[in-house]
Amino acid sequence: MKSRNLRNFCIIAHIDHGKSTLADRLLQLTSTVSEREMQAQMLDSMDLEREKGVTIKASAVHMTYRAKDGQEYELNLIDTPGHVDFGYEVSRALQACEGALLVVDASQGVQAQTLANLYLAVDAGLEIIPVINKIDLPAARPVEVTQEIVDLMGVDAEQVITISAKSGINVEAVLEAVVKYIPAPTQDVEKPLRALVFDSHYDSYKGVIAYVRVVDGILNDADEVFALATETRFRPVEIGNFQPQMVAGKRLQAGDVGYVATGLKTVRECRVGDTLTLFSAKAETPLPGYQPAKPMVFAGIYPVENEDYPTLKESLEKLQLNDASLVYEPETSQALNFGFRCGFLGLFHMEIIQERLEREYDLDIIATAPSVEYEVEKTNGETIWIDTPADLPDESTINEIREPWMRIQIFTPQEFYGTVMDLVTKKRGQFVSQEYPAPGRVLLNYDLPLAELIIDFYDQLKSRTKGYASLDYHFHSYRTEKLVRLNVLINNAPLDALTMIVHKDHAFHKGQALVSKLKELIPRQMFEVPIQAAAGGRIISRANVSAIRKDVLSKCYGGDISRKKKLLEKQKKGKKRMKMVGRVEIPQSAFMAVLKLGDEQ
Amino acid sequence: MAYSLYLHIPFCTVRCAYCDFNTYAGLEALIQPYTDALCQEISLVAKSVGGTLPVHTIFLGGGTPSLLSPEQHGQILTCLAQHFQITQQCEITFEANPGTVSLAQLQALKVLGYNRISFGVQSAQPHELKLLDRLHSFEQVLSAVEWARKAGFANLNLDLIYGLPHQALETWENTLFQVLPLGAEHLSLYALSLEYGTPMRAWVEQGKLPSPDPDLAALMYETASARMSDAGYAQYEISNWAKADPALGDGETPALACLHNLQYWRNEAWLGLGAGAHGSAGGYRYSVTRSPKGYIERVMQGTPQPFPFSPAVVESEALDVATAMADTMLLGLRLTREGVSKARFAERFSVEYTQVFSQELRELTNLGLIEQLPERARLVPPAYLLANEAFRRFV
Ligand SMILES: Nc1nc2c(ncn2[C@@H]2O[C@H](COP(=O)(O)OP(=O)(O)OP(=O)(O)O)[C@@H](O)[C@H]2O)c(=O)[nH]1
Ligand code: SF4
Ligand SMILES: [Mg+2]
Repeated sequence: MKSRNLRNFCIIAHIDHGKSTLADRLLQLTSTVSEREMQAQMLDSMDLEREKGVTIKASAVHMTYRAKDGQEYELNLIDTPGHVDFGYEVSRALQACEGALLVVDASQGVQAQTLANLYLAVDAGLEIIPVINKIDLPAARPVEVTQEIVDLMGVDAEQVITISAKSGINVEAVLEAVVKYIPAPTQDVEKPLRALVFDSHYDSYKGVIAYVRVVDGILNDADEVFALATETRFRPVEIGNFQPQMVAGKRLQAGDVGYVATGLKTVRECRVGDTLTLFSAKAETPLPGYQPAKPMVFAGIYPVENEDYPTLKESLEKLQLNDASLVYEPETSQALNFGFRCGFLGLFHMEIIQERLEREYDLDIIATAPSVEYEVEKTNGETIWIDTPADLPDESTINEIREPWMRIQIFTPQEFYGTVMDLVTKKRGQFVSQEYPAPGRVLLNYDLPLAELIIDFYDQLKSRTKGYASLDYHFHSYRTEKLVRLNVLINNAPLDALTMIVHKDHAFHKGQALVSKLKELIPRQMFEVPIQAAAGGRIISRANVSAIRKDVLSKCYGGDISRKKKLLEKQKKGKKRMKMVGRVEIPQSAFMAVLKLGDEQ
Repeated sequence: MAYSLYLHIPFCTVRCAYCDFNTYAGLEALIQPYTDALCQEISLVAKSVGGTLPVHTIFLGGGTPSLLSPEQHGQILTCLAQHFQITQQCEITFEANPGTVSLAQLQALKVLGYNRISFGVQSAQPHELKLLDRLHSFEQVLSAVEWARKAGFANLNLDLIYGLPHQALETWENTLFQVLPLGAEHLSLYALSLEYGTPMRAWVEQGKLPSPDPDLAALMYETASARMSDAGYAQYEISNWAKADPALGDGETPALACLHNLQYWRNEAWLGLGAGAHGSAGGYRYSVTRSPKGYIERVMQGTPQPFPFSPAVVESEALDVATAMADTMLLGLRLTREGVSKARFAERFSVEYTQVFSQELRELTNLGLIEQLPERARLVPPAYLLANEAFRRFV
C-alpha cells in the first residue's frame, strides 16, 4: 500500500507564547474552519479556557493542506497547554507526533517552559521547528531571540521562522516547514492494530472519547476493540477525527490521529496510556504507555451545605471522566464534616477544578489549604503517607518525617540573580547549579521543598523579578526534615482543615503570620472570635476578631425598598458561601490564608 | 384602607457630595413644565382608580421641594384635592433645604394646607456642612425653624447625619446639643452611607478622605439614642425619633411619628408620582422614569393606564403573597416599638406570621435579636445596630 502524505505535529511553548493563536491561523489557512465559524483560540473550547485565555486541555485537529509542491497533505495538529501543571499533557501529546513547532514569544524570548518542553520533545525524538511569534509587537526582538534559539538548538538562523500568529504574517511558511521537515509517520497497516490512547474526554452521548494515535494496523468502524491494559472489550459508537468538532469516519490506520468513541461510561475502562487493539486479532505487546500523572498537591473539598455532599460526589466522578489526573477519596473533617481529599497536579490545576465544580455543577464548595504528601516513619517501624496535615500522628510516635523536594529551574535576567537567590534561601531551597543558555540571562537550578513552592513562591518570584523570571519544576526526592504540626483554633476549637505541617524553625513565625492573616480574612461576627495557633502543645500566637458593632441599613423608605432588598440579598449570598464551623462563619479565603502569608521571615 | 402619596421633586440648586437621590442641579427651567406634568400624572392615575381614593398622608420629597414657588405648590395641592379624597387629619409634608426658604414662603405654604416640614439640617458644624456640600449654614437652620413656627407649623422634622469622615464623637454630640433645644417634634438620624457614584464615595476610594469607622458610628448612635431619650424623644424606628406626648395618646408608636413613613414600614399602599418615584399599590411595586425631561414627555403624551400605573412608569413587579409577607416582616422589624403587629399581619394575610416564619423567628429569638410578644415581634434594643442579620432572613 502506498504511504499517504501525512504529518503529525504538536505545538509546544511557554505559557501564553501564542500556541492556540497559531493553531487558529493554521485552521484558517487550511480552510478547516470557515471564516464565519472562526473565533480566537478556537481550540480552547472550555468556557474556563476562553475566560482565562489559557489552554487547560490538549486538543487534536485534522486538516488538509495543499502545499507549494502541488501535493495535498493530511495534517494532524495537537495544541498543548503551556502551564507547568499540565506538562504531563504535553509529554503525552509528544508520543502521538513526529514533529513539534516550538513557539517562542518575540518579546519575551526563551523561557523556562520553552526549555522544559524543548527537552521533552528532543527526548521523544521529534523533529523540532523553531517559530518566533508576535513579531508585530513593538517590543519584539526577533534578532536577539533568533540568536537565543540558535544557541540553544544548534540550528541555523535561517531555519527559525518568524511570524505573527495574530496578524497572520508568514504563517504559511510554518505549514511549508511542517510538510518539508517533519517526517511522515511509518504506516505499517499489515501489523495487528495498536493504537495509543493519548488523551480522553467524556461525552454524555458517546461515552469516553479516546484520542488515539494509530501506530500499527487498521481500525474499521465496525471492528470490536480490546483495550490491552484494562482488558475491556467494546464496540465503538463511532470512530473519526476532530475538525475540530468530531467527524465520524470509516477507518483509522497506522499513522493516523483520531478518536474512538468507546461508549464506555467510566475512564477506568479505557485509560489514557492504554493500547487499543482488535478483539479478533489482538496485538501481542502493548505500546509503551505513560506513568499515570502523580498528584503533587492535596486539598480537601467540602460542600458549603452538608446536604450537597452527594451532588459533590457525583460531580467529582463526572469531572474525573474529563480529567484523568484528578484523584479523590472521601474524607471527614471534624470541622467541615464530609468531603473529599483530592490530589492535583499543582495549584493551578486545583484552582481549575474548584472553578469547574462551582460553575459546571453549580456547587458551593470550600477547598482547604493545599498540602503535599509526607512520608512518615513511625517508631514502631511502620511507614505511612500523610496528605492531610491533621492526620499527622503524635510527635512521640514519629521517628522521622520526609517531605517531597523539587528540582526547580528558574530562568531570569542576570540582574535578578541576587534577589532570586535570596527568595530561594528563605524558602529553604538549596542551590544546585547555573547555566547561561542565552546572553544576559541565567538558568538557575535549585532544590526546594514542594511545600514551599506551592505557598506563594511563584508570585514572589514574579514580583521580585518584575515578571521576567520563569519557572519550571519536577519532583526530585523525599528528604528527612525537622517538621512539626501547627494547629489553629478558632473560637477555642481546633479547626483541622487549617492544620499545617511546617519546618520547626519556621513554626513560630508562620503561626503568627497565619493568625494575623486569619484575623484579616474572617469577618466580624456577632460575638468576639479568638484565633490561636499552637505548636508542640503550646499556644504560639493569638488574636481576636472583635464582635461586629454595626450592620444595619440606616435608611429604608418607599423608594429604597427594592434596592435595599437587593443589597441584603447580595450580603446573604456572600454569607451562604461561607462555611459554618461551630458558630463561626468562615469564608473560603480563610482556608487559603496559608498561601497568602506574604514575604515572611 | 387609606393611601399615601409620594411626590418627587427632582431639582436641587447644587448636588450634595453624598447624595444619590434622583435629583438634578441646573434644570430650573423645567420646574414649571414638570409641575404641569405632575398634575397631569395625578389626574391620569386618579382616573384609573374608578372612584376616589382616600388619602391620609402626602409627602413631597426630593430633591428640594422648597425650590417650587408657592403658586406651583398650590397648583399641585389643588390638583390632588380635586382627584383624591384627602382625609381631615391628612399629614401633608414637604422637604425643605433650610437655605432655600423665607418666612413669606412658609406662610404661603401653610395656607395652602401643608402641616409638616422636614428640614435637611445634617450638622451644626460649619466644616461638616462644607464637607457635605450643603449650601446652608446652621444659622439659616435656626431662622428656618423660627420662621416655620411663626408661619404656624406645629410639626417639624430635622434630618441629621453622623459617621462622617473625620467626625469625632464630640462634634456629633455638639451638633445634638445645638439641635435638640430647637424642640422639633421629630428627628431622623442617619449614618452616612457611601453610595455608588457619589463624589463622597470616590474621595474615600481615592484615599482623599478616611473611610468612616463603623465602630465609631455605632458609638455615635448609642450616644445619640441616650441624648434623645433624655430630651424627651421616643424612638419608634431604627433611625427615627418623635417627641413623646402622652397627651396625644401615644400608643406603641408615638402620635408625632411620621405617618407617611409608617405607611412604608407597615408595608401598606402608596402611590409614587413624579420622576424616579417608587410606588407600591394594587399588588405591584413600580417605579417612574428617572429623567425629568423623559418624565414630562411620557406623561404629557400618555394615556391612562390600568391602576396603579401612569404612562411614565417604566418598571413594575407583581408582588406575590410570599414576597408581601416577607416584606411586611422586614419592614415591620424596623419599627422598634410597634414591630410587626400580629393582628395586622393576620388580618391582611389570613395566616399568622408565627406559622409562616416559624423557623426564622425561632432563630432570631435564639440569637437574641428579636423578642416575640403576644401581640408583636420586634427587635430588642441591642439588635438595632445589627438588624441586617434579621432582615436577611426575609429576602
Ligand atoms: N501581538 C500579538 N499577540 C499575540 C500573537 N499571538 C498570540 N498573541 C496573544 O498572546 C496571548 C496568548 O495567546 P494564546 O494563543 O492563548 O497562547 P497559548 O500559548 O496558547 O497560551 P497557553 O495555552 O495558555 O499556554 C493572547 O492574548 C493572544 O492574542 C501575535 O502574533 N501577536
Ligand atoms: S439637597 Fe438633598 S436631594 Fe438635593 S442634592 Fe442635597 S441631599 Fe440630595
Ligand atoms: Mg493555548
